[in-house]
Amino acid sequence: MLDALDAVSPLIDDVRPGLAFLEMHGIAGGPPSWMAQTRSVLAGFCCPLRVGVASNKVAARAAAYIADGTFCAPGAERALLGPLPLVVLDVEPEIVERLTLLGIDSLGDLAELPHGPFVRRFGAQASSWHELACGIDRRPFLPRSRTVAIEAAIFGEGRVAEEAQVFFALRMLLTRICADLERSGKRAGAMHLALELEDAGSSTYDVPLATPTANERTIFDLLRAKLEGATFEAAIVGLRLQARQLEEGGEAQALFGADDFDPQRLAVTLARLEAVLGERIARAEMREAHLLEERFVYRPFEPLRSLECHPEWSRRIVPQLRLLEVREVPVELRAGEPARVDRKTVTQCVGPWRIDERPFTASPVARDEYDIALEDGTFARIYRQGSTWYLRGVYE
Amino acid sequence: MTLALSAATDRRAAFETLKAELSARAARGSLPLEGAIPSAIPDLDRLLGGGFPKGAVATLEGTTGRWSLAAGLVATTTRRGLVAILNDGSLYPPSLAEAGACLERVLIVPARKALQVARAVDILLRARICRLVLMPAIALRDAVWTRLAMLAHRSGVLLIVMTSCAGAALSAAAELRLHCALERLLMQGTHGLWGRFAGFELCVDLRKHRHLLAGGSAHLRIEACSATLR
Repeated sequence: MLDALDAVSPLIDDVRPGLAFLEMHGIAGGPPSWMAQTRSVLAGFCCPLRVGVASNKVAARAAAYIADGTFCAPGAERALLGPLPLVVLDVEPEIVERLTLLGIDSLGDLAELPHGPFVRRFGAQASSWHELACGIDRRPFLPRSRTVAIEAAIFGEGRVAEEAQVFFALRMLLTRICADLERSGKRAGAMHLALELEDAGSSTYDVPLATPTANERTIFDLLRAKLEGATFEAAIVGLRLQARQLEEGGEAQALFGADDFDPQRLAVTLARLEAVLGERIARAEMREAHLLEERFVYRPFEPLRSLECHPEWSRRIVPQLRLLEVREVPVELRAGEPARVDRKTVTQCVGPWRIDERPFTASPVARDEYDIALEDGTFARIYRQGSTWYLRGVYE
Repeated sequence: MTLALSAATDRRAAFETLKAELSARAARGSLPLEGAIPSAIPDLDRLLGGGFPKGAVATLEGTTGRWSLAAGLVATTTRRGLVAILNDGSLYPPSLAEAGACLERVLIVPARKALQVARAVDILLRARICRLVLMPAIALRDAVWTRLAMLAHRSGVLLIVMTSCAGAALSAAAELRLHCALERLLMQGTHGLWGRFAGFELCVDLRKHRHLLAGGSAHLRIEACSATLR
């Protein structure tokens, strides 16, 4: 409906669902023709409609409240608002109830009250209620942001079966898209690529950009990285590329920022690595747990926006545990402690540390963990689960 | 002929003397190498003339202690930049965090096969997004090591290869080779349940350095905090 109203006025204040204001200054015609045009463009939506015209928002809202087609002449706002109930102010129901209890039933009653004492009694916000009741509306007109669809497509101009041809077509589309972005002063936060295949199938790719941009080369690198390694069942007969998450303005650049961290380059590299390896590039996140293997979790690496100097930094050279693929090892005991592990003599042994995890579940874990030093200098973590011994990792 | 050979020998001896003097000055800290990345271990930095060289391939060899050194380097580097670690599944991030590494700035690249590792390192070096890349030693052709060394040099990224012993091709491509050997395990408390490994002492030998004389060594003490070994 809002898009349809663009035909009436380019400036629309979309207040809330069911209520919108149109700025009609400078639009040809007068109130009757404006209202007729509005009704005609919204006729197709088959919904009840009330239109009112006035010099400001509160009066226009009141005009529409009174009856469809009401026009309030400039200077007659207070008279128009006087008999109307307080709900026209669009304030919280509790406030309306409070004012009603005090005997204020209409906007006229409210306007009659002395401004200073009323504001002192109800606080600073009451000042605007009083002015609104008097037909004075100082609220700014907030035009909605216009939805701009920036996309380009190629269909029915032959078929492509080679990677180079796809990239060529993609670059052509991207040139158009970036030109449109530049022209409209926007930048894209994500790209959506749809590929139509000869066998009527299709394939879509959503490519988020680290920071919104209109830079053709950056977007092309990301798209290419996404498509690297992709195979299709049939030849491609159509491409549609759409810029999404459009934002206003250009990209902030540092004056001497040539060697600075570039989030776009990071995003391209991540996409390229993921295409080559077939797995997500991860970052580790610590969590509270007793079992070694549950003390961290891998999450997808989120492209960073900047690389400030990390403030919290405490360096400490500590032994690093390396997790090995868990395997059973033969262990000989002496006085209840491991004496030989994997046919090597144990020179030092500390432990056991008992871990009882999830004891009341279907998969309980009960382990005795030991740190051992072997004759060959290996420094390892082993554990006994049930009657079996396992090698968990080595310290390096 | 004899005279010419004698002159060449003198020049060689003079060059070795000059190199030794410069190495000694660098080791004293009076002549830090340009663009070195400090390892956060003062003794090791002194041995290396200020730290690990930027834009080079370095090897950390041996069986014990090499990852402890690498973790210190990761902690230093993540303070201002990104680090990539090629993970064959053996990485234990909590240990890295204890060493002071900012895990948010560590890209963990899952790569197990040699070809995957080589391609991933190639991409990372060309992209220049990380200041440090850590990779496990894999069997690669001589030409690939040479290419990676050239890429590291061009991009200014330090590529560290973790290996028990560097092969001929890797040794040739590496600008720096360090070998770690366990000297002594440190124990705290008594044996058994109340005992705890407190860390270990390492001997780090400088086997090769592009700008310094090889042969120096540093003795390091690596101590565990209570959370590490429990």
